[in-house]
Amino acid sequence: MVKQGSDKNENVIYGEWHVRYKYSVGKVAGKFFDGLKQKKILATYCDKCKLSFLPPRAYCERSFEPCSGWIEAGLEGVIEAATIVTAEFENLPKPPYAIAYVRLDGVSTAMINFVRGLDLSDVKSAAERLEPGTRVRVEFKDNPEGRITDFHYVLPTP
Amino acid sequence: MDTYVLGLALHPASSWVADKRLEEMVFDTAKAALDDAGITRDELDHVTIAACDELDGRSISSMLLSAPAGAYLKDEIKVTDSGLIGLCLEAMRIESGRFHLGLLSSWNKSSKAPFEDVMRMRCEPFYTRDIGLNASIADGFFARAVCDAYGISESDANGAVRASYKRASDNERGMRAAVPSLEEIEASPYVAAPLRKMQQAPVTDGGVSMVVCSGAWLKKHPHRRPLARLSGVAWRVDNYQLGKKRLSALTGFKESFQKAIAMSGLRDFSLLDVVELDSQTAFHEVAFRRALGLPDSCNVSPSGGPFAQNPYFCTGLVNAAEAVLQISGRAGAVQVKGTKRAAAHGCHGFAQQGNAVAIFEGA
Amino acid sequence: MPKNRVAVIGVGETVFKNNIVDKTYVELAQQAAKAALDDAGLTPDDIDAVVFSMAPTQFMGVNDVDKWAVDLVWASGKPFMRVHTGGATGGSALHAGYAHVASGMYRTVLVVGADRVTETPDAQHVLNLIWDLFYEHDFALNTVTMTALATQRYMHRYGTTEEQFARVVVRSRKNALKNPYAHLKGNITVDDVMKSPRMSWPYKLFDICPRSAGAAAVVLANEEVTKSHCSRPAFINGIGGRTSTVFMGDRVGPFADAELSDEAEFVSAGKEAYAQSGITNPMKEIQVVELYDPFSSTQFPQLESLGFCERGQAQNLSDEGAFEMGALLSVNPSGGTLCSNPIGVTGLVRVADAALQVMGKAGEGQVAGVQNALSTAIGGSVQFVNCTILGADYI
Repeated sequence: MVKQGSDKNENVIYGEWHVRYKYSVGKVAGKFFDGLKQKKILATYCDKCKLSFLPPRAYCERSFEPCSGWIEAGLEGVIEAATIVTAEFENLPKPPYAIAYVRLDGVSTAMINFVRGLDLSDVKSAAERLEPGTRVRVEFKDNPEGRITDFHYVLPTP
Repeated sequence: MDTYVLGLALHPASSWVADKRLEEMVFDTAKAALDDAGITRDELDHVTIAACDELDGRSISSMLLSAPAGAYLKDEIKVTDSGLIGLCLEAMRIESGRFHLGLLSSWNKSSKAPFEDVMRMRCEPFYTRDIGLNASIADGFFARAVCDAYGISESDANGAVRASYKRASDNERGMRAAVPSLEEIEASPYVAAPLRKMQQAPVTDGGVSMVVCSGAWLKKHPHRRPLARLSGVAWRVDNYQLGKKRLSALTGFKESFQKAIAMSGLRDFSLLDVVELDSQTAFHEVAFRRALGLPDSCNVSPSGGPFAQNPYFCTGLVNAAEAVLQISGRAGAVQVKGTKRAAAHGCHGFAQQGNAVAIFEGA
Repeated sequence: MPKNRVAVIGVGETVFKNNIVDKTYVELAQQAAKAALDDAGLTPDDIDAVVFSMAPTQFMGVNDVDKWAVDLVWASGKPFMRVHTGGATGGSALHAGYAHVASGMYRTVLVVGADRVTETPDAQHVLNLIWDLFYEHDFALNTVTMTALATQRYMHRYGTTEEQFARVVVRSRKNALKNPYAHLKGNITVDDVMKSPRMSWPYKLFDICPRSAGAAAVVLANEEVTKSHCSRPAFINGIGGRTSTVFMGDRVGPFADAELSDEAEFVSAGKEAYAQSGITNPMKEIQVVELYDPFSSTQFPQLESLGFCERGQAQNLSDEGAFEMGALLSVNPSGGTLCSNPIGVTGLVRVADAALQVMGKAGEGQVAGVQNALSTAIGGSVQFVNCTILGADYI
């Protein structure tokens, strides 16, 4: 799939590479995605560190022990960091959209997802509404499929 | 040299580790090595990783894989050539005096990515990619060249396949594949003539981790018994461009062995009890043996080498683990009694462009 | 203490541009290698080992491209390895090279790399692929958006304004006018930055580095070779590095070990490097820093974490002109990564530019009286960090 050609008077050879992968879901992701289908967000926790993790993981990076078990995360939390994407990037969603790391109640770490339902026409004032510390809640799709996009965050209705 | 292996772990060999994510496989192996060494992750002062993004199926794969390899808040460096090259860097980091206790990890989950297509993309785009090389095709060229240079016949090669699988069948750490008959091997289709499919060691999933420490660390922890001392390590890269000399002279292979032997203070190869070779094909096996001229007293690849398991990217480091197991008397059914000095070899790149050799002695 | 002294005795860089049409990737690497060898007064035969610096190859489209480069960087027949820690690669490669010589196993090492980030138009797509397919890939995380998130957090914590970041860009582009290798350079204003197109809050286009093609190399040598070949080397007196978790959500909030927006992994990496080099007061003892700064916002947290000033103070010092060339601390006199970012080798360019300052070879951009310089490199979402301290004298 390589052809020689000219591009603006430059001597170039074109090439492309399409690669397909099969990623094993593993011990933990499967349970998490099943939880989403039931509109639950499941986190793993480490007894030693007394910390709970989203995204869930099979072992704790700090204690380097397998995680002890699962807990159900609260469906509200606090924004730790956010941004509003206004540029169009290759193969990424059409802007504008907002994404944020939110630490859900009962969980030690924050997890990323879209923040929806926010008026993004004035970026600066929209950004103010997403300041770290702002509380948000989780909203699930009507028919969750077992993917991370089954839920997103929304600002509480004023 | 004043570098020691304190503990190690090999992930169970498999044609496809289906029940774990790659990061879980890496964690399991790294954790097992720490447990084997009797130390905790907290005690480490550095981590070395050897891995390949394309085989891992993601760009900057160490973003996801450094923490499972124990690197959270540690001084970590990753090399991309091969698992055994990871040991070369790890040894230098210890020998520099700057670091004293490290965890080295390498892995291969080839089932995840289209292996030969990843290899094909190692072709430069101007002269080679349109024609197309990959691991098998490069090894086909290699086979032809060494047949001529070392007078290797097909029957020599097929004999080596059977002998390798026979040795491998005793190795509880390997795939324990059935030993093929000569007829089966002869009838297997050509992949890139003269290389036949059954003359290739099948690529498998696997991983290996080692805890490595300095002599100074051991002095501070006198109750710790290391498994082996690294007495010599050397590595060389040959030309990328293939040609008759490059394919048949085995320059990098021989020089890596010579340099490693010299570093270890041994007079010559005859003093090695065990040599574990990274023979990706039967032609490698025969050519490597003839190039080194090892005496019969030397046991070559008692583990079965890549015919036992071949987690391609880290097969050389698996060889190092097998060598250390031999030295420390833990090699099980394939133990060569009284092993005092063992060498491990790894190769990487098109037609063994890179070679590395590590020599271990009893500590 | 390292067993053997290690010094930079030669540096080579190519001009950094959007695209370099008259050379292939491997020819670029060769150009930098040759320049470094010439600068060191060595021939290829004098080099004992080679370390290749290259991050994801998906940008320039040849896997294991370092193996192709072997023939052109005079590495054939020598010990050779390639290091890859994302954007931090060049710094990690330097540390690997350092280990070669400090171990006493090799007298000289060539550390070389190149990149051609615009060989593909799909660069940001490639960078989206670094994220966890299951949990993060869908959220359009790439280098721009992920750093924007951390910066929004920094601004909230310290009250930093977009204009304060814009002033960093103005300073860097102006400094770059004196750097013959820099990709972007010029006299721009805060207004120019503020009016450039918005990318991902709070970044505008000018807050972000270019995609550059180019190459760099350094020659490292032991004490004996240094004494006979180099009258003014840059000794590597301290190295430090840290790798954090990929999960940015673990690095925010009350349970974080090292706060994401502070780039706090630099605290421990810096402390180790300072201890090695005997530096107790960075602001007083270090005259130049060459920071890895692909975004206008990343200088402040690095300087604070590396102990040059208190948290939240860097923005004030910046506004007061303390970071101008020749002022209290010359920050990125080369123009830094904001002006040139050939990703796979940028970390090495940071080392090279710092070394040039110590060696007195920085030309028009030379700061006077450089006794010590510090360079940094960053990879992933500030997940991989490392720093190197170079000194005019050995500690």
